[in-house]
Amino acid sequence: MNITLLRLYPKTLILIFILMLAIAVEQTSLRDSVYYQLYDVFQWLKHSSWIGMLGTTFGSIYATVEAVHLLSMALLGGTVLVTDLRLLGILLKNTPSELICIETYPYFKVSLLLAIITGIFCAAGVADKLYDMRVFWMKMLSLILASCFAFFIKQPLLTSQPHTQISPWLLKLLALSSLTIWFTVAAAGRWIGFS
Amino acid sequence: MNLKPRLKSSPDDGVVVAVIASVTISAYVLSYWVSQVISTLELLELAYGAVKFFNNPLVF
Repeated sequence: MNITLLRLYPKTLILIFILMLAIAVEQTSLRDSVYYQLYDVFQWLKHSSWIGMLGTTFGSIYATVEAVHLLSMALLGGTVLVTDLRLLGILLKNTPSELICIETYPYFKVSLLLAIITGIFCAAGVADKLYDMRVFWMKMLSLILASCFAFFIKQPLLTSQPHTQISPWLLKLLALSSLTIWFTVAAAGRWIGFS
Repeated sequence: MNLKPRLKSSPDDGVVVAVIASVTISAYVLSYWVSQVISTLELLELAYGAVKFFNNPLVF
């Protein structure tokens, strides 16, 4: 029975294990201990690393990199919005949703990579402030969650079979989850600016 | 399209994962933002005393 379950639902079992692990981390002091250990890394990032020095010394470089960060996030948000609003049946109704999912995926990956690289640079300049901000950690956690959801759950399902074979409710549920989690990433990002 | 072979009447692994993850994420994120809205309204109630959407004992 267990072997059959393992053979039929390996991804489901891995997901349940990860959820249980997340609950266990929340119940113990593991998260706090990791948080305190990261203090030195953030101090080094701000005061000793070359990206921290560049960001704090040259305002023009910081502004340029931040502009690239904003543009990459605009592209990322655009791919997410187009894909999810098409799955919800709001945008581009005459274009097959499979085509949109496949065509936007490369741009999604490139823009996410660019946003992360430029984001590290931007964070290095104010790393000591960010370390104490709850919303910064919320943004990082939701970014990891959103990326994992997109790469390991949403995209594999949407590109494995024609969307006519997937329940319309599941397509809408996937789109809604994706939108809410990416909304959280964006909102937390703006919240940092007002904290 | 490359369709995975699967047994009849048993849902696909990817579908089960998608349902569990989507429901968990949506429920968690939406409850987080609802709690943020509630705490903001409570702060407004405390500040102005006029916004009484919830049963705040500090506002009469």
